[in-house]
Amino acid sequence: MTLFLQFFLTGIVTGSFLILATIGFSFTRRVEGFLNIAHAELLGVSAFTTWGLNVLLGWHVVAAAIAGIVFTAFLGLAIGRIVYDPIRRLGPSVLLITSVGVAYAIGGTVDALVGTGIRTLDIPLATSYRFAGLRITDYQMIVVAFAVIATGALALFLNKTSMGLAIRAISANPELAASRGIDVKSTSRITWLISSGLAGLAGVMLAVVATLSTDIAFHQILQILAVAILAGLGSLYAVIAAGLIVGVAMDVSVFWIPAGYRPLIAFAVVILVLLFRPEGLAGRKSR
Amino acid sequence: MTFSSLILTTLTFGAMFSVLTLSLNLQYARGGMINFGTVAYFASGAYAYAIFTQDPPSGLDQYAFGLGLPWYVGFLAAGVASLLFALITGWPTLRLRGEYLALTTFAFAEVLHSFLLNERRIGNGSVGLSNVERPDPALIGVNDMLAYAIAAVALMLMTAFFFHRLLNSPFGRTVDAVHDDETAAQAIGKDGARIRLQVFVLSAIPIGFAGALYAMITTLVAPAMFTAELTFFVWIALALGGQKTILGAILGTLALVFFQEAVGAIPFESVRAAQIAASVEEVVTGILFIIVLRWQPWERFSRRTKA
Amino acid sequence: MSEIVLSVEKVVKQFTGLRAVGGADGLSFSVRRGDFLGLIGPNGAGKSTTFNLISGVLKPTEGKVSLNGTDLSGLRAQEIAGMGLGRTFQTPRAFPSLGVLDNIMVGAQNPNEGPITALLGSWRGGDAKLRERAESSLERVGLIDRRHDLVANLSGGELRMLEVARQLIRAPRILLLDEPTAGVDPSLQVRLTGLLRDLHEAGTTLIVVEHNLTFLFDLADRIVVLQNGGLLAEGEPEAVRRDPVVVSAYLGSENEA
Repeated sequence: MTLFLQFFLTGIVTGSFLILATIGFSFTRRVEGFLNIAHAELLGVSAFTTWGLNVLLGWHVVAAAIAGIVFTAFLGLAIGRIVYDPIRRLGPSVLLITSVGVAYAIGGTVDALVGTGIRTLDIPLATSYRFAGLRITDYQMIVVAFAVIATGALALFLNKTSMGLAIRAISANPELAASRGIDVKSTSRITWLISSGLAGLAGVMLAVVATLSTDIAFHQILQILAVAILAGLGSLYAVIAAGLIVGVAMDVSVFWIPAGYRPLIAFAVVILVLLFRPEGLAGRKSR
Repeated sequence: MTFSSLILTTLTFGAMFSVLTLSLNLQYARGGMINFGTVAYFASGAYAYAIFTQDPPSGLDQYAFGLGLPWYVGFLAAGVASLLFALITGWPTLRLRGEYLALTTFAFAEVLHSFLLNERRIGNGSVGLSNVERPDPALIGVNDMLAYAIAAVALMLMTAFFFHRLLNSPFGRTVDAVHDDETAAQAIGKDGARIRLQVFVLSAIPIGFAGALYAMITTLVAPAMFTAELTFFVWIALALGGQKTILGAILGTLALVFFQEAVGAIPFESVRAAQIAASVEEVVTGILFIIVLRWQPWERFSRRTKA
Repeated sequence: MSEIVLSVEKVVKQFTGLRAVGGADGLSFSVRRGDFLGLIGPNGAGKSTTFNLISGVLKPTEGKVSLNGTDLSGLRAQEIAGMGLGRTFQTPRAFPSLGVLDNIMVGAQNPNEGPITALLGSWRGGDAKLRERAESSLERVGLIDRRHDLVANLSGGELRMLEVARQLIRAPRILLLDEPTAGVDPSLQVRLTGLLRDLHEAGTTLIVVEHNLTFLFDLADRIVVLQNGGLLAEGEPEAVRRDPVVVSAYLGSENEA
């Protein structure tokens, strides 16, 4: 039983990470209207930028992380404006396929600059805390903390600021929003910055709790897709719920099936949701 | 690698992968289906071939199945395996459109990959099956590389021929009609989902055969050989060649294979340099893909006007 | 009196915030075999939606539609079409990838349509006969000279006639036409009138949505008038034309008689 609870606990951590990794992706889906496969690669960019500044240049990890996140945010914005904006009229399918090309380009660049091999950040070893027979490390708690802070901040932003409301209006009905005078262009820019920045944050979290290799970003995409699809087109809360469900399901599954199949849970989620309830938890049919 | 062997390798693998590109052409350009799981049909064929022709397990072997049958039985089994996989994964999913179909096909391919990687009883897990049985051209006095190059080209030509025949027919008219306007096609009694399934399953069969050929050429099947990278490679080849024509699909594939083989053939001074070259290749391919998609799609990605 | 071939019983179609079809009590009317029914009403009355409900493109929220006594609830549009029901659309739908002749040929119920037949090549004999039938359909709608043309070169009115020709080759027992004269020039319209008369005489059941009341009242046996998704009036053309309720409904909106 304790073992089960331990897996459940790590599942919450995994889920928190997935929430961070997926909110940005969901955001792009709702506002820009397509599934951006390259989103996962931004995690790699952020993780390795942070690593580069921290390990190669000796920066303090927090400074490196902030720089990494900011860089990733602006990279995402640049790509959004240069690559995706000009072809938006071609439809979500073409954008999806194009994002594969973008993923290749980003992934290849990271590969070329970083090379193969395992990398870790220059940070103190994790400290484990025990309670009620369960273990958790300080870094794992940081991941959960950031997930809470980020979702909280985002919820405030979407509900209380005019830009946030503009974003919600556009994701509900772009034509109507544009005709009501909402500045679609600058809203789009803010969206790219926020979603790429969140990807950056997720990448930093990845660097903190996991060891880095250049293919790590690609492995995340299916899990991100699983969470995004389970959440559906709806609210932030759906992403939170979906992230936790997938995270816990993946980690708890080790109780019953061999660990090698852990990623399979994500795939199974994608398939089952699309077959039986394509609108996801949020329940709204696609626009 | 000498220039002539570079040409031969390009021809062999180019022709073989062209079969995949042709299938994608059929599925996407004519059928309107986005298949991001192409590698899975290829892997099904390759593994089926290997399992059917491999001698039964003995001693320390971890795999459980090996039927020890002749190569032509294995070859047929490869086509059937691919057909079955397409049928099982296609039937529930083809009613999904566009991006969602892309995701489910991708997910199914990853499921297969995970399965092959983890189940030791099927083909030794991550280690794979080596020393795969294959017909030996030396027996009829033909150079090995040449013989398989000819086999690959033959498979490609036959696939092109059958696809052409499939589409220049009443069935082809129906496929185009359903793709153009499914509601209007329903008004004349055409079942879009059924048509798409037929296209999907039929186009998967040659991919299975190509997989068998791949196993014969490399005498090895292992999960690492069948990753999503291959699926996207074929997509990029499709885009480069333009999808309007069968010839385009073939040329695009040959060009991309040549590019990759040529880069691979450059003698680099260090492992690191070779890695960088491979990465740069990845970047260039990605950028090329983006460029082609931006400036070609309305011409190439939708077969709208017929001359 | 012939038997009822199509029955619409208390049908309602509810979209979020809009009751497109149904009126107060659900929409009900029936059509007998061989009838020529005209379906009219101001814009937004629910005429095309009703067609969509009959042909299976939409499913009723309440009520049921029956064809030849069979409840259409569980059936998909292509199955309903297979039962002998044909329809054209408010905005003509042609297949741009196919040429004009192919657009007609694809309409026929063709036993040689399958993939295996395609691979074997055994469809060629049948296709020659099919071409003849397609050409005769094109002749009946006056498009025979355009048979080698691209769909893109056809005008809106010609596309409408193309759709009609595509339905003709199927010889449906009941044919739904959605605004067949819209954008059609007068000479083609004369041909269309003759064509519909021929079909009517041959026993095809016809339901026609039209705004061109002169054209319609000349041909139809009965008229059904819709307004806001509900049945406003029904009866013979002359009676409906003079019904004050109908007149005021029409004078309240556009009338292109």
